[in-house]
Order: sequence, then C-alpha cells, then structure tokens
Amino acid sequence: MSRTAAIAVRELSKTYKDVRALDNVTLELEPDRIYGLLGRNGAGKTTLMSILTGQNYAQQGTAEIFGHDPFEHDPTLARICFIRESQKYPDDFKVFQAFKSAALFFENWNEQLAQDLVQAFDLPIKRRIKKLSRGQLSAVGVIIGMASRAEITFFDEPYLGLDAVARQIFYDRLVEDFAEYPRTIVLSSHLIDEVANLLEHVIVIDKGRIVIDSDAEQLRGSAVTVTGDAAKVQEFVGTAEVIHRDALGALASVTIKAKLDGSQREQAKLMGLDLSPVSLQQLVVRSALSSTTEEALAERTEARK
Amino acid sequence: MNRVIKVARMQLINKGTFIGIPAMILVSAFLFTLVIWWLVRRNGAEGIMYGGGAQAPMWYFLALGIQALTLTFPFSMAMSISRRSFYLGTVALFSVCALVLSVFYYLMGLVEKATGGWGLDGRFFALQWVADNNWFIQIMFYFVLMLLLFMVGFLTATIYMRWRTTGMVVFFTLLGVLSLAVIALFTFNDFWDEFWGWALTWTAAGVTLWGGLAAVLMAGGSYLTLRRATA
Repeated sequence: MSRTAAIAVRELSKTYKDVRALDNVTLELEPDRIYGLLGRNGAGKTTLMSILTGQNYAQQGTAEIFGHDPFEHDPTLARICFIRESQKYPDDFKVFQAFKSAALFFENWNEQLAQDLVQAFDLPIKRRIKKLSRGQLSAVGVIIGMASRAEITFFDEPYLGLDAVARQIFYDRLVEDFAEYPRTIVLSSHLIDEVANLLEHVIVIDKGRIVIDSDAEQLRGSAVTVTGDAAKVQEFVGTAEVIHRDALGALASVTIKAKLDGSQREQAKLMGLDLSPVSLQQLVVRSALSSTTEEALAERTEARK
Repeated sequence: MNRVIKVARMQLINKGTFIGIPAMILVSAFLFTLVIWWLVRRNGAEGIMYGGGAQAPMWYFLALGIQALTLTFPFSMAMSISRRSFYLGTVALFSVCALVLSVFYYLMGLVEKATGGWGLDGRFFALQWVADNNWFIQIMFYFVLMLLLFMVGFLTATIYMRWRTTGMVVFFTLLGVLSLAVIALFTFNDFWDEFWGWALTWTAAGVTLWGGLAAVLMAGGSYLTLRRATA
C-alpha cells in the first residue's frame, strides 16, 4: 500500500446490552474519496461513525484514522469532523455561536463558505439553536461539516427535514467543494437513490455487519433484471445467483447477480427477453437486506396481492 | 493555540453563562440585602446584621457544573475535542472564574469593614468566622467552596453522561443508603452532641483544607468517569 488508509477498521464489535450494534466489521477507506455508508435505521451506521471519531469506543477490534486510534488523541481528532444527526448544542447557543466555536477547533474552517451556505439555506443565524426547525438544525450540521473542510468528514443523515431544494443545494455544494478541496467524505444515508450519483464507493451495513463494500461503478453493473416469459427467463437465468424474483401470470422478472457479456445480451434478445439495469437502491435493498427482511418484504407483497 | 485554551474560549462564547449570570445573581442579592437592612434599621434595630446572600452565586455553580457537562460535552465531542481537553479547559476556566470572584469577595469584605458595614453595620462579605482569618485563608475559603459546589454538579453530571439513568439511580440510592447509615450510627451511639460539639471547633482554615481535598477527589473521580463517557 503506497499511503496510509484514511480509515482502517479491523474486526470491530460493539454490543449495547443485548443488541449487537457492530459485528466483526473490517473496512478500509482510502483518502480523498466520497463513501456512502448505507443501511436501514438502527443498522449500526451512527455507532460505527461514533467509534471512528472517538466519540464512542468498541469492545473488540481496532479503528485507526491515518494510522492512529482516534480515541482521546487530539492530533488525530483535529483531522475529523462528525456532526451527528441528533447533535446536541449548548442550550443558550445561537447559530452563529456554534459556527464561531467550530472556527476555533477546525483548522481548515472556511468562513466564506459557511456564510455562503447560510445564505443558500436561508438560515437565521441569530436564532437560538433550540428554536430551529428540524430542517434548519440539519442545515447547521451540514454547514459545520462542509465549512470545517476536515480531512475526514462524516455526514450523518444530513438531509433530515431539509426540503428538496435544500437537499439539492447540499449535494451540489458538496461535489463542488470536494472537487476543489478533495478529502475523505463519508455520507451516511438511507435515501440511497438520492445520493447514489455522489458516491464513489458504497458500504452497506445491516444489523451491524458489512454486507456490501464495493466500488459504486462496479456495483451498478453487477446485477441485471431479466423480464419476459417465465419459462424462458428461467432457461436464461440458469444457475446464476437470484437476488429477487417477481412473477405475474406467465411473465417473470428475475434479478440476478451477473455481469452479462455481449453474446449473452444477444442471446437474451433472441429469446425475447428484456434486460434492465438495477438501481443502486434496488440492489442494496434486494441483495443486502438479510433474509428476515426479505421474508417480511415478500409477505407484504403477498398481502398486497 | 492549545486545544485546552480553546475549550475555555468556547465555554466563554456565551459570556452570560460563566460571567454575566453569576455577576447578576451577586449584585441583585447584595442590593436586596442592602434594602432589607435599611428597612430594618429604620425600624430601630440594633447590633450587627448578617446576610447570607454572598453564597447565592455559589449555588448557581452547582447548576453550572451540571450544565457545562450535559449540554456542552456532547457539543465538544462534535468539535472533535478529546475528553481530556474538554475536562481540563472547563475546569481551568471555572477555577479562574472562581478565583477572581473569591478575590472580589475578599476585597468587598475589606470595603465592608472600612465603611462600617455599608453604613448600616451589616455583614454580607466579611462574615466574622471567615473574615477573622488572614487574606490567604479568606480567599481560599471562598475559592474552595465554589470549586466544591461546581465539582458536585460536575461529578453528578459525568455519572449521568456515562451511565445515564441507571447511573443516577444507583448513585442516589447509594448516597441515600450511606447517609441513612451514618445518621443511624450517630443516633444509636448518641454521637450527635459530640458531633456538633466537634463541628463548632472547625476553623475556616480547616474547612478549606478538607473541602479542598474533597474537591480534588471529586475532580479526579469525574475525570476518570468522563474518560469513557459517550455523547
């Protein structure tokens, strides 16, 4: 390896009472890329980020930021920014005071960027933080995260309560600023399609386990949905790994984990089958979620019929 | 700049919390006391009058100790501050504030004596028991008392931050059981007369010393507890 990984996690486990929040997680994140940390609510996203930023600690395994355990290590902590989704602020703080504080601690803090974002989000900076709406509260976190320009920045479900326009502003400004000041960004989200285009690498966590850790580009081409006459679909699919199956009368739609080459595509065409790409969200939902969830989904689908 | 000092600066971003509110409490307690004394004098009361208002801001420090933790600590985590830096910066800032206020108490005590108890023969800052000592003991007495109250709040809040509700329940249950045990022990053995007799022999210097020790122990305890607290 030519340079130190931004984040290196080995066999990390954390249990809260009877819940296994993280289960033997091993990951390596390279510097200067945008990562998506995807998963359902309660999958372990926030716990993982808390440990990576020294705000929490694991019972087993190691987490290293640029080769150092971040826990209680000021020089390493100074390179990280993590505003949690349910971040608490001092009771009497006004918005601008939170920014003033962030400017003290984040060496790369860019006041101009913060001001621009305040305008873009139309944030009342003289208002007390505890009087803000959910969306405005998210905006405060987003602004601190972006303007800090920390070497590793975590965004924890940053869009909560933000309207569509504000969310688009966030995504656009993030890409814009990233292009100018590359850094490692970890975006935690359960709105997968919305952030799909930003991500260079996708990590999916479910029930504390890493179920996908893959390049986004690769992931997008790794599955295909075959639709057509049920018998023909079955013939075409053969022994490929099926991740989802839908049937409607004589028609079937089967999603398989496979990279098709030209001749296979040609064959599908000859058989009168339709091939369609699978969106990141579908892929994550279909392949990542554990069997119990799939069963629940299947049941719901049954019920609807 | 050192992150410990930055923590102190962060705590001071809202100046009211550490400076404004205690100053306001003290000033209003003092003015109220003066007015009451004046009214009492007009009705022809004789002798020295004592007012306990000087301790008013000290009780605020108890609340401040709790607040500095429960709200500022989770925020300091988001500012990527280590627990150690947060602890040192917060305690150092409070110590400086307490020291300044203690010196102020001492100076006001001098003024009080020089003006004959603000012309009303009242005692607000220079309470006999404390004011009879030399300047160092007087200042340290106030300082330790403030620190002690702050630490009580701080320690309780750290226990909450680390073990949440369970911690609070266990802590206060143990405290209650312990207090009851001591009271029972004293009552069964008829220690109370002896105890109060002994308590009356306490000097300001002694209280300062033992109070200081207790504050240091609590400071150590809250640091060890905070080391593993989560936001």
